[in-house]
Amino acid sequence: MKGIVIGQYVPGTGFFYKLDPRTKIAAVVILMVAVFLLKNIPQLLIALALSIVLLLVGRISIGKVLNGLKPLLVLMVFTFFFQVLFNTEGNIVWQTDFYFSLSSMLALAALTVLWRLLVPHVKFRFLLFLVYLVGAFALLHYIPSWYRFATWQFVIYSKGLEMSAFVIIRLLIIITFSTVLTLTTRPTDLTQGLEKIMRPMKFIGINSDEFALIISISLRFIPTIFDEATKIMAAQASRGADFAQGKLKNKVKQIVSLLVPMFIIAFKRSEDLADAMESRNFVPGQPRTRIYELSFRKADAVAAMFIVICLAGSIVLRILT
Amino acid sequence: MGIEFRHVSYNYAKMNTGFFQALHDISMDISDKGEFICLVGQTGSGKSTLVQHMNALIFPSEGQVVIEGNVITSKRNKKTDYNSLRKHVGLVFQFPEYQLFEETVEKDIMFGPLNFKVPAKEAAASAKEALRQVGLDESYLERSPLNLSGGEKKRVSIAGILALDPDVLVLDEPTSGLDPAGKRHLMELFSEIRENTGKTIVLITHDMDLVYQYASRVLVLNSGELVFDGTPDALFRRKDLSENHLDYPGVVKILKAVKEKFGLSEMDVYKKTPDEAAREIKRVMSS
Repeated sequence: MKGIVIGQYVPGTGFFYKLDPRTKIAAVVILMVAVFLLKNIPQLLIALALSIVLLLVGRISIGKVLNGLKPLLVLMVFTFFFQVLFNTEGNIVWQTDFYFSLSSMLALAALTVLWRLLVPHVKFRFLLFLVYLVGAFALLHYIPSWYRFATWQFVIYSKGLEMSAFVIIRLLIIITFSTVLTLTTRPTDLTQGLEKIMRPMKFIGINSDEFALIISISLRFIPTIFDEATKIMAAQASRGADFAQGKLKNKVKQIVSLLVPMFIIAFKRSEDLADAMESRNFVPGQPRTRIYELSFRKADAVAAMFIVICLAGSIVLRILT
Repeated sequence: MGIEFRHVSYNYAKMNTGFFQALHDISMDISDKGEFICLVGQTGSGKSTLVQHMNALIFPSEGQVVIEGNVITSKRNKKTDYNSLRKHVGLVFQFPEYQLFEETVEKDIMFGPLNFKVPAKEAAASAKEALRQVGLDESYLERSPLNLSGGEKKRVSIAGILALDPDVLVLDEPTSGLDPAGKRHLMELFSEIRENTGKTIVLITHDMDLVYQYASRVLVLNSGELVFDGTPDALFRRKDLSENHLDYPGVVKILKAVKEKFGLSEMDVYKKTPDEAAREIKRVMSS
């Protein structure tokens, strides 16, 4: 539970830390639009190179950004597989036959058993799964066939490869931008920035102050509630609740034993918080002052210039190609 | 058998800055034969972390904890059934809100025994018995545990562990938030359980009066280190009490003041109850 960090802010002093959160939020939105305007892989590669330069300028370790990519690795791999399997446009790049026969089925079963046996002992399970997949296809292709009952012709088309590369690079760039934003901006600054940016939306009935307050309270209480969940789990584990093992029926009961106290405590906390806010004269809807007001500085102007150039560049590229 | 700590250290992971050492090189033995141990120390001195080692809720970062013959180290051992250890060592947390969840008090107390595969009938019987032990009558069985008062919740949460019939009963601040009568009642209850069943009681408290009157042994933690392990009599005769953020029991304080004020040099200030104190004053006055 301790490893879960929402809003992965890491204190630092680079260029991006000096920027106003409003600039950063607007920049991320505009840069994303710019990236979506790009039409082919070379253009995207230029954008990727540019975002890496940005990381270097901001002295943000690329390792941290790569870390942020981890949860999306699965998505990327699936995108790749689906594009490669189902896209049938363009030229044929590679083709091969897979044979379904008694011998290859037996070999496949053996490989599956081996994989399931290895899983508990390996750290990189996803990697192991990939190795298993590749192994499975190799078996289907190379094992001599006895009693063959089906043949599957597997073809990879150039368009499939291109599209998957296109989608994955685009995803990479967008995630890099948003990671930079969350790495370098405190959650409180982020919500204050959002509040200011969304202020014009008052005209369509959305109150940005309240919205920002809701977000910042939620962010503030996520670690607290995680902490409480850990404690509740420990208390129930002391009474023999085993959250890791057991039958489904017992598991449901054990999750209930976690959820009920969590909700009760959360409601209690919200009441206490409301009382505490009111006793310090908080009135919903009234204008509030802040200790740290946001200010637009020189660095923001530089960043804004850069963003405008990026957007203009991608629009020009879009029209030219 | 019992619980044995061998050079146990525990580190909490901290964001960015490495870790915070909550326990440092703790070695001690807790037998499961009728000890009454009070664990005292300043807030944040590692008391709660220490008791969570006692039923393998957390594993030591360094060193070993041996619970009923099972060695617990920093690495999870597949062969050890950590869950069953928790039937031997029952741990009651400080806040009952963290564990009460069922519709009725009876079901909530039965949750523990049922998890340990006790038949429903026996579990219901032990729930009734546990509830009686903590001083609540049978009318509570059908009430919702969520609508009880703070003190009642506390008792129900203790009953939930008592129903497991553990060999060692560990309690994290069981008397906090209770009125003086409720405090006394619970302490008498623990004392009784220990005398009647020979279970070991380990409890965390800040109340020096309770420590002096009930404990057979006191453990003092200061900044994660075990600085004292001995009888309460020995503890309160030491000079470094305030360094460890402790204080004298109320009775001793009063006798000390009386002794100083009236210059009664032959007076013995180490009396546990007001009655004993009164007799001592009378004895000194008459001689």
